[in-house]
Amino acid sequence: MSTEVSDSTNLSEKKDFLVRSSSLKDVRSFSREVFEKFKINEDLREELVLAIAEAAQNIVKHAYKDYPDTQDRMAVRISCTDKELEISFFDKGKPVEKSKVKHRAIDDVKPGGLGTFFIQEIMDSIKFKEGDKPWINNLVLTKKL
Amino acid sequence: MTYKVTDEGDTSTVFLDGEIDMDKTEGAKEVIFPLIDAGKNVNLNLSSVQYMDSSGISVLIESHQKALEKGTKLVIKDVSKSVLKVIMMAKLEQILNLE
Repeated sequence: MSTEVSDSTNLSEKKDFLVRSSSLKDVRSFSREVFEKFKINEDLREELVLAIAEAAQNIVKHAYKDYPDTQDRMAVRISCTDKELEISFFDKGKPVEKSKVKHRAIDDVKPGGLGTFFIQEIMDSIKFKEGDKPWINNLVLTKKL
Repeated sequence: MTYKVTDEGDTSTVFLDGEIDMDKTEGAKEVIFPLIDAGKNVNLNLSSVQYMDSSGISVLIESHQKALEKGTKLVIKDVSKSVLKVIMMAKLEQILNLE
């Protein structure tokens, strides 16, 4: 885990993970550790951990769908000011087709399609950007504090 | 995730624990589905499951629907507060059998 900026008003931590489903527990541990360090409200922490884990899961499931044995790594950066939390994800997988990113109708009960719904429910904004080299995708989630 | 199964008559109770995510769902299905396929009612005790993501929720939906198809019943028991929050976020508290 690296601390990029650390002063009283702007904190940022970043860590990279192998793109595997087995990394998701490490993504959650990292997130919990950072939220404790940033003193994020306890009621909010687990919701944010869920949103982060769902976004990381989407990278594994979709951006690397055809590459289950990849050695690529994805990075998660959590930045915090006193007013807003920004969580960025970076990966080198298949470029995200924004038009295809949608959750299933919530009243059409069937397995799957809930991850993006959870992210939308928990976060205030979701933006897909092209990643700066070497990254391909850069997802940015924000939440007002 | 670890699990324990107890049997009483035509009902099996599955105790899961730990954190259920994409990496653990196949293991959960391998425990639950054969019981439903065998015509058992299944109680799924989640009191020791402290975290569940959308993949885990999908296992609950799939198990519930499979039980309906087989004419058995899946009851989800003793859900921890954190998992109940996720079930409610998915608006499934009226769909799944929660006790």
